[in-house]
Amino acid sequence: MAGKPVRPVNAIDQTRRMLSLVTYLRERPGARVEDVARAFGISEDELVSDLDVLPMCGTSFRGGDLLDIDTDGERIWWHNPDDVAEPLRLAADEATALLVAARAVATLPGLRESDRQALLRATAKVETAAGEAAGASARLSVTFEAEGGVFADVDRAISERRRLWIRYYSPARDELTEREIDPIRLVSVGHTYVEAWCRRSEARRTFRLDRVAEIRILDEPSAPPEVELRDLSEGLVQPAAEDPEVVVEVGPGGRWVAEYYPHDSADELPDGGLRITLRTPDPASLRRLALRLGRDGRIVSPPELADSARHAARDALAAYDGVEAHRAHEVRGG
Amino acid sequence: MAIAKAERLMNLALCLLGTRRPLSKRELRESIEAYLEAGTDDSFNRMFERDKDDLRELGLVIETVENLDGEVGYLAARASNRLPPITLDAEEAAALGLAAKVWQQARLAGAASGALQKLRAAGLPEDVDPYGPHGALEPRIPVHEAAFEPLMLACRDRRPVVFDYRKATAARPEPRQVEPWALECWRGHWYLAGWDRDRGAERVFRLSRITGKVRSRGGRFGAPVPDVVTVRETVAGWAGETADRSALIRLRADAGYPLRAKATAVRELGDGWDELEIPYGRGLDAWLVEFGPDVVVLEPAELRADVLDRLRAVAKG
Repeated sequence: MAGKPVRPVNAIDQTRRMLSLVTYLRERPGARVEDVARAFGISEDELVSDLDVLPMCGTSFRGGDLLDIDTDGERIWWHNPDDVAEPLRLAADEATALLVAARAVATLPGLRESDRQALLRATAKVETAAGEAAGASARLSVTFEAEGGVFADVDRAISERRRLWIRYYSPARDELTEREIDPIRLVSVGHTYVEAWCRRSEARRTFRLDRVAEIRILDEPSAPPEVELRDLSEGLVQPAAEDPEVVVEVGPGGRWVAEYYPHDSADELPDGGLRITLRTPDPASLRRLALRLGRDGRIVSPPELADSARHAARDALAAYDGVEAHRAHEVRGG
Repeated sequence: MAIAKAERLMNLALCLLGTRRPLSKRELRESIEAYLEAGTDDSFNRMFERDKDDLRELGLVIETVENLDGEVGYLAARASNRLPPITLDAEEAAALGLAAKVWQQARLAGAASGALQKLRAAGLPEDVDPYGPHGALEPRIPVHEAAFEPLMLACRDRRPVVFDYRKATAARPEPRQVEPWALECWRGHWYLAGWDRDRGAERVFRLSRITGKVRSRGGRFGAPVPDVVTVRETVAGWAGETADRSALIRLRADAGYPLRAKATAVRELGDGWDELEIPYGRGLDAWLVEFGPDVVVLEPAELRADVLDRLRAVAKG
C-alpha cells in the first residue's frame, strides 16, 4: 500500500483510539508493541505516546484507580485490568465512514467476486452491529467509475506480473496509439486509472481505463523499473514548473474551465468572467478547449494556439460548405 | 503545565463508563485532575460541556439523570455503550481493512480507522494484509471541496443550511437556503441534493460551486425528505447522458474514437469519411466542435446550426 494514509492527530481521534486500546490490551496480556501498532494502523511512536497517557487515566471517580499499563518498549502489560474496557458501540460518523467506503468499494467493477462477497457480508454485519448509528450512512454515497473488462485484465496482469498491450485514446490528439505497458497499480480517484511503465515512452504514465479501446495480456513478464510511487491525493494531473504557460480568458459561460483544469491562477474579470493561467506540457492539446469554448472564451497566449483553433474552425466551416454542395448535388441527381 | 485534552477526555470517559450510579458535576470535577486545575466555575463548566459533546461525537451514550436531591448526574451505562457481538472472518476483515483506507478527508479517515480499531478491540481478525489477494487496487475517495464537512454534518443532523452558490454560467454567487438531504460523489466530484427553500423545489448542487462558508440555520426541515434521493440521474442529465434523440454526423475516417464508441450505427462512405448515428443529449454541440474539421453535422438542423454558430465564433476569434 503506497500513498500516505491520513493520520489522526487530534485529541478526539487519540481518545477514540485509547478507548479501543484498553479493550484490546485487556484481552492480550504482553502484546507486542509492533503487533498492536499494526493492528491499530498507527506508528510505534504514536502507540508509545498513547501508552504515556494511559497511566494518567483512571477508571473511578474516587481517584487512585489509575490504569497500571506499562511497556518495556517491546511488550505491553496491563497489571490491573478492569472490566470498564468493554468493546464500545460505533459512533454515527464511524459507521458512516466505514459503511459508505465499503459500499463504494463493492461497486468497483472488476473487483474479484470473492472479495465483493466478503465485503457485502462484512457490510451487513457492521450495519447490524452499528444499529441506529448506521442510519445516517444512507445520506452519503460514492460511485467509482471503471470499465469492468479492462479493469479485470489489468488486475490480472498485475497479480500475474505480465505485460499488457493496449490501444489507448488520447483526447489531446484525438488519436489511438498502441503501446506495451508494465502495470504497477490501479488507482480510483473518481475515474479509475492504471499507473504503468510505458515501454514506448520509457517513462511512467497514467492511463484512464475508460480510454482504453482494446487490451490484451501478453506472455512477456512485466518488469517495471523500481519507481517511487507518487502520492496522488493532490490529483493525478500535476503540471511541472517548466511546462509552458497558457492564458485563457472566459466569460461567465466558460467559468467551468477553472473547475476542470488545474491552474495557477484564476482572476475575476469585470464582465463576470475569469482570466485563467495554467501550465501544460503540450499547449497544442488545448485546441479542443479553444474550439469548445466558442464565444464563451478565447486563448490569450500562446498566439500559435489561438491561431490553430481559428484555422481549425475555418477548415470545419469549409467542410460544411463542401457537404452542403455535395448534398445539394445528391438531391438534384436523385 | 496544562493537561492534554486527550488525557482529560479519556479520564471523563472512563469515569462515566466505570460508575454504576450517576456522578454529579461536582464529583467529576473533584476526581479528574484537569478539572481541578480548570480554575473558575465558568471555565470548568464550559470545558465540561465541550468534553461531553466530544465524547458523544465519539459515540458514547451519556445519560443525564436527576437524583432525589434534584442534582443532575451523568453516566455512560454499560448496556447502552456495548458493541453488540460481531464476528467477522479473515476475508471479511481484509475487505473492511481495504475499505477503511479509501477516505482522503481527515474527519472520515479518522472515523473509519476509529471504527476499525473498535472492531479490532472486539476481536476482528488481524495479520491479514488487506491488499494480499488484490495486490494493486487502490480506490480513493477524493474530497477537495471545503463545503464537504459542514454539509456532511448538516445532512447527518438534518440541519438547514445557507450558502452562496454560483451556477455554472453565472458570474456572481447567490445565497441559497437549503434543507440538505444527501451527498453523492460521482466521477470524482461531490454533489448535494436537497430542498431549495426559496425555489420550493428539489435541487442538486455541485460542491465546487459553493463559495464561502456553509452556515447552519436553526429549526427543523420544513419539507419531507424523500425515501430515495437521486443525485446521479440529475447530474447525468446535466452531462448530456440522458439522450433521447439521435443525430447524424460525418466523421473523418480514423478520427473521433469516442464518438465511434458511442455510435449506434456506422456507415463507411469510402471517400475518407464515415457516417455515424450518435445519441443526441445536452452538450453534444460543444463536444462535436472539439473535433474541429473532422466532424460535419448533418441532422438535426438545430444541432447543425448550434455547431456552426460555435465554429463561426471561433473562426472570427
